[in-house]
Amino acid sequence: MPANKKHLTASPWQRLLKVTAAFVGGYMVSMSFHLLLMAFMDRTTVFITMRFSVYILWAALMVIAFLAKNGWKIWGIYLGLSLIFFLPYLLKMMGK
Amino acid sequence: MNLRNYNIYFHTHTISGIIISLILYVIFFAGSFAFFKTEIASWQKNTPNSVVEKSGTDMNRIRDTMAASMDLYGRDLYITLNERTSRMTVSASASKDTTIKDKGGFFYMDATSFKKQDYRKSYDLGEFLYRLHFLAPLNVIGGRGFLFGYYLAGLVAFLFLFAIITGTLVHWKKIVSNFYVFRPWEKFKTLWTDIHTALGVITLPFLFVFAVTGTYYLVSFPLVTQPTAKVQYGGSTDSLFQQTIPGRTNYAFEDKKLNHVPDLNAYFKDAQQKLKGAELRNLIVYNYGDQGMRIRISGVNQQRSFTEPGTVIYNGKTGKVEKLTPIDQKGSYIKAVDSLVYSLHFGNYGGNIVRILYFLLGIAGCIVIISGVMIWLVARNKKNIPEKKRRFNEWLANIYLSASIGMYPVTAAAFIAVKLNPGADRGFVYSFYFWVWLVITILLVLRRNNYKTTRDCLLIGGLLGVAIPIVNGLVTGNWIWVSMRHGYTDILLIDLLWTVIGITSLVTWLLVVRQQQEKLLHKLSPSGV
Repeated sequence: MPANKKHLTASPWQRLLKVTAAFVGGYMVSMSFHLLLMAFMDRTTVFITMRFSVYILWAALMVIAFLAKNGWKIWGIYLGLSLIFFLPYLLKMMGK
Repeated sequence: MNLRNYNIYFHTHTISGIIISLILYVIFFAGSFAFFKTEIASWQKNTPNSVVEKSGTDMNRIRDTMAASMDLYGRDLYITLNERTSRMTVSASASKDTTIKDKGGFFYMDATSFKKQDYRKSYDLGEFLYRLHFLAPLNVIGGRGFLFGYYLAGLVAFLFLFAIITGTLVHWKKIVSNFYVFRPWEKFKTLWTDIHTALGVITLPFLFVFAVTGTYYLVSFPLVTQPTAKVQYGGSTDSLFQQTIPGRTNYAFEDKKLNHVPDLNAYFKDAQQKLKGAELRNLIVYNYGDQGMRIRISGVNQQRSFTEPGTVIYNGKTGKVEKLTPIDQKGSYIKAVDSLVYSLHFGNYGGNIVRILYFLLGIAGCIVIISGVMIWLVARNKKNIPEKKRRFNEWLANIYLSASIGMYPVTAAAFIAVKLNPGADRGFVYSFYFWVWLVITILLVLRRNNYKTTRDCLLIGGLLGVAIPIVNGLVTGNWIWVSMRHGYTDILLIDLLWTVIGITSLVTWLLVVRQQQEKLLHKLSPSGV
């Protein structure tokens, strides 16, 4: 009954990439997404919602990362999304 | 379902599950008992709750007791009453007047005798199990400033959330059809699978709530609060908390003494009038004795308003009401989430019934974890798996099961130990619990027999469990019927809880032994009948 190996990632590099994308990348996307919401909505409301939404979104992103076919690609996507979501803050920092 | 996805869900569920299983078991097992933390404390110290009328608590006397050991001027005082115990918590911050050097502190005070006790001295088994359930004793590993135990528990809680999601995805298609399948007398693998999925589905909402709120409690500060404060609140977590936590306000310290001593009882009485129907639990004095003093009194009535506490804030200088939030005012989203996260995790909203239900669900969670480990082991115990790997798996499962199932008799023994030793403090509870647990685990690991581990732990735990109310009766004279007559509900609750747990596990023990004997007979008889 253990999962059929045929469908699992064989290369250790790919596996490492997916695990880190799931854990680190997922966190970055989830956090930056909520920070983006904060930039446009009432920040107190968003912050209090984050008590549960950050972790649920993060866990969902973890699942998605493991479903990905290519570890590089999913890292790329998660990094890109984090950058886009964080853009308002980046612009502010550069404007200073 | 897509075969590839199914196998990925399956694999990630298995791996994340096996990584967290032992720690998660400890969290669930200790946490289940922690729902009765205050009752365990009352039970251990034999200080039943029934005699105390909380609404008449003498607040001035609390203040005077505190003032005997420190200059209260400029401090924030926090007084918390708990309807389930006669033990109140009282704490004082450092003074905002920098000439007053002595620190504040956190104390317990008895509502009848007003005797003050410091935290360490009045440490009890309830507090121990509560703190064990988020691995607080492991904080020493990280040294000062790094809360290793909390973060580890938070990480486990988060991986648990991931395991819940992937597990649900694996089981999704069969979630209804397999719900009614239970084949306890079939081969072991189906037994474990049926337990794991059936109990897993029943407890799913409960487990989900605990995974999310548990993660929040343990890792939100470094992972969410600090980064958010950095980009949104000028790097100050204080100003973030002030804006987002209801009731967290900073009142300016004016550094000018008041020329009268505040009558806290009068405020408390007045608040009872203003917040009719609420059970007042908290009294906070900001800037005690200063011109900037405020008195904040709050209480709840969860029948009328599930998430909204009623609050009244008085100006200490004029004695006038500064802000009144009545109990049935329509609440805000922020307050609702704030109290919901707490209520859902601590199960404090429906009296003993809810907490007993929470306890049962928590124990069910333990069974889900153990059956998961067993599936993992049994599924890998096949001829096509290399001998070396199989032996490793067996050792791992052996250690996991010995440590987790061994926790049950150890916990029962700890209840008896603290009852027999009236001077049981933190040092005693720590060394008793951890050493006995370690020794039992090592013995069980060396014996290397999961069946015998389960069998013997059920028997010993059951016998000790049934003995707990008897020991309590012998030591304190508060036998079950005595507690019942006097209405000592808190002491009664612990005694009855252990009676039921004990009897249940003895019955289970009997069933397990019988089942095994039948199997042996079956094997021995040559005809196979």
